[in-house]
Amino acid sequence: MRPKRKRAGRIIFLSGMLVLALIIFLGNKVVVKTSTDEYCASCHIHPHSTQSWKRSTHFDNKMGIHVHCVDCHLPPHGEGYLVQKAKTGLRDVWAKTFRDSASFNWEAKSQIDYASHHTFETSCIRCHQNNYPLGLTKEGREAHLYYERQAGELHCINCHITVGHYDPERLHAQNTDFGIVKTASSELYKEPGVINGFNDFKEYIPGSAVSFDMIAIPAGTFMMGSPEDEPFRNQDEGPVREVEISPFFMAKIEVSWDEYMAFFKQTGAQGKSSDTYLNMDREDVDGISGPTPPYGAPDQGWGIGKMPAMSMTHHAAEVYCEWLTEITGKTYRLPTEAEWEYAARGGNTTPYFFDGDPRRYVDKGIRNKIFGVDTTVINSYIIYAENSGARSGPPSATLENPFGLINMLGNVLEFCSDWYADEAYSQYEEGTLKDPTGPDSGEEHVVRGGSYRDGAELVRCASRNYTKTDAWMKTDPQIPKSVWWYSDCFYVGFRVVCEYEEAPAD
Amino acid sequence: MKPTKPTSRRRFLENTALGAIGVIGASKLIQSCAPGETTAEVVEPVFLKTAVDGQPIRAGVVGCGGRGSGAAVNFLDAGPNLSIVALADVFQDRIDDLRKKLKDEKDVDVEDANCFVGFDAYKRLLEVDLDYVILATPPYFRPVQFQACVEARKHIFMEKPVAVDPVGARAVMAASKQAEAAGLCVVTGTQRRHQWSYNNVKARIDAGMIGDIVATNVYWNQNQLWYRENQPAWTEMEWMIRDWVNWTWLSGDHIVEQHVHNIDVSNWFVGTHPVEAVGMGSRLRRKTGDCYDNFSVDFIYDKTIHMNSMCRQINECANSVSEYLRGNKGYTDPGGTIWDAAGTVLYKWESPVDEADEPVENDPYVQEHIDLISAIREGKQIVEAEETARSVLTAIMGRISAYTGKKVTWEEMMSSDMTIGPKSEIKLGPVDIDKTIPIPGSD
Repeated sequence: MRPKRKRAGRIIFLSGMLVLALIIFLGNKVVVKTSTDEYCASCHIHPHSTQSWKRSTHFDNKMGIHVHCVDCHLPPHGEGYLVQKAKTGLRDVWAKTFRDSASFNWEAKSQIDYASHHTFETSCIRCHQNNYPLGLTKEGREAHLYYERQAGELHCINCHITVGHYDPERLHAQNTDFGIVKTASSELYKEPGVINGFNDFKEYIPGSAVSFDMIAIPAGTFMMGSPEDEPFRNQDEGPVREVEISPFFMAKIEVSWDEYMAFFKQTGAQGKSSDTYLNMDREDVDGISGPTPPYGAPDQGWGIGKMPAMSMTHHAAEVYCEWLTEITGKTYRLPTEAEWEYAARGGNTTPYFFDGDPRRYVDKGIRNKIFGVDTTVINSYIIYAENSGARSGPPSATLENPFGLINMLGNVLEFCSDWYADEAYSQYEEGTLKDPTGPDSGEEHVVRGGSYRDGAELVRCASRNYTKTDAWMKTDPQIPKSVWWYSDCFYVGFRVVCEYEEAPAD
Repeated sequence: MKPTKPTSRRRFLENTALGAIGVIGASKLIQSCAPGETTAEVVEPVFLKTAVDGQPIRAGVVGCGGRGSGAAVNFLDAGPNLSIVALADVFQDRIDDLRKKLKDEKDVDVEDANCFVGFDAYKRLLEVDLDYVILATPPYFRPVQFQACVEARKHIFMEKPVAVDPVGARAVMAASKQAEAAGLCVVTGTQRRHQWSYNNVKARIDAGMIGDIVATNVYWNQNQLWYRENQPAWTEMEWMIRDWVNWTWLSGDHIVEQHVHNIDVSNWFVGTHPVEAVGMGSRLRRKTGDCYDNFSVDFIYDKTIHMNSMCRQINECANSVSEYLRGNKGYTDPGGTIWDAAGTVLYKWESPVDEADEPVENDPYVQEHIDLISAIREGKQIVEAEETARSVLTAIMGRISAYTGKKVTWEEMMSSDMTIGPKSEIKLGPVDIDKTIPIPGSD
């Protein structure tokens, strides 16, 4: 019965081929169908994405071309398109089925850090093959040369973040209106605040309508650093040192946009570059020359007013203090790292200035995942990764620490005047330290307190961190790079301290 | 890009002629190799003796001084179907001189209407119907004029150096990329790259004849260069431009203006640019201007290869214009000879001979145009500006190090906003620059 067998084999083979063809055909149908803009938008959980896309140059442009969701959010065909599509699809189905779409933080997902994971540079390059078209501006040419030198460091969207989803807050243009504050009708302060003994006082910025509170921080001795058994402790937090601190005043809140804008308005240099490399005549600095306008909106569109000013460089913060010193006749400066920790602890030796175990607050560990965590206490004091919604918050959102200071932990990182060194604490001489000021020299400065992006482990009183100049400046294509604004750090700010000079005894 | 035309009969004959030289060279190579030693295959360079024929090419000359006039004639000598149709210069007498020279020597007439005088003359020249622009003004003007030519979609021959400061050098790098993207051809005046001798040596160094290059020395030590004293009838600007090689803002100083040739050879053979430089120099006997007259710079490439560079323009001193490259298996004078580590000649370039047994030397000044014109006509794009800009920026890095006494890095050059030259508009009259001669260090 060989022929029959042969025939059966042939039928099986043919029907197999047919099924395969059908699978390929249907599979292709599915791929095509699920790759349309309509399909992407069909979940209706992010309608604003569709709207902002339609307002962007990838939808509305002179060429009349529409660039579709999958053109950017999946890699090109043949470069992992189907694999990524499957991954994205599974993730979306899971999220749609098991998660509450109201809990998604779309704004956080549109930040560069996240956006660069679901926007494929290979896809940008597939269409944009020429970085040097005729007619490109001088700035554009310089910027693309810069981009090519940062091979792998920069994604196209580091600069061109708004091309796919329009966002007026993040347009890539010099923000020359920045700091033009409409306060003409408000009353302007003529005199600075007055210090009356070692008490809290209110500072008034002359020539502006801005005032802020200064808290008297009494002298004392404390243990700087964290004990070796503190959860999430890093090596650089030790050895614990006994430190004696002289009295000083510290601002109740982080320097606000109102305060920083007053500085910008009075000293701002529109478009003037300074501190130029190898510029041999630098002696032309008469008075204080303030910041240039930033690119885009350094407040990220989260609001100004009492919100913490951020993205300014350490240098800018120091110039701010010089300026404040000049116009108020007091001595303002950045806190030393020791002053900062002393103020943050408010007399406590625990990880936070309130009772709480960092292990119970982090978004890690099975126990926390299963049983949930009571975060009521930490939420009332700190704006950090678990409650911030990926943005900074106003001082009114949290409670004071024992000294009366707000947002010492979390919200934005705060500059200190010290140079950072891993082993700063062990490098000091033995014995009790009096008002230590850190290493004599270094590359980067200390920043303390953690930010709205950090987990509970990094917003402990003892947690140390430092500026990362290269990384925080990587997108800035200007030559020279701005000395006033970090292009890639929207989570650093500062707080001022004012020195207390005891009145001479009569 | 246009499809490549089939090789013409004429070209074929020339190729075979030069190819024969290659065979001789290769046979020497084979003889000289120790038994069992393996060397990558030598890729013989091929050069044309005259540009391929094709579409007529109409050229304009911007900068009609000595080099511009020379380049104009070199261009016309490069092959058939070539004409010069427009001239531009800051000074009328320069235009008159070149016009007369072209008429007398080459029987080329340039219309009155196509002769332009002034600092913006190049813009008006670009409005004339032409395909090819020769840029030979002082280097200070190059980045802006090059950009304008690229925007106007012209093929470009431009003299080295292509810039005098970091901003200018980077502008040329970017414009070069634009030219590449727009399908234009650009040749710069680093003529050693168009010399048969250098290219034949290069082919063998690339094939590993001296192993890996471990150190290079480059020299341009010569007598005092020309200069012009000021004239009562001249404004300061006119004087500076007529005396341009002596002014840093116009020439980049002689380490950039002249010595870039040798620095470029080192970069070309090593295959990259240095990452830092420490240099010294001074001004001892120069008559006019604000340039130094001697430099010595230690350039460091990645992987710790050093380039020792010297240049001097002072009479009655030891002179040398040459390069010397040492590899871990031998050394070379890239102008024509390769030795093994023991000093035995492995290869020596010999010029080909004609029917009368006379050596045929190539004129690199003409060769540059032959290569550029052939590239245009055959649709084989060639764009040299970016690489030349890198060598120019290398020289600028050395100059800044000598002027300041500081170590200067490539990274700093790529992010420096330094521009030199008058802060005010460029026009005839007094020139607003600081004429102090830089003195490094302190007491």
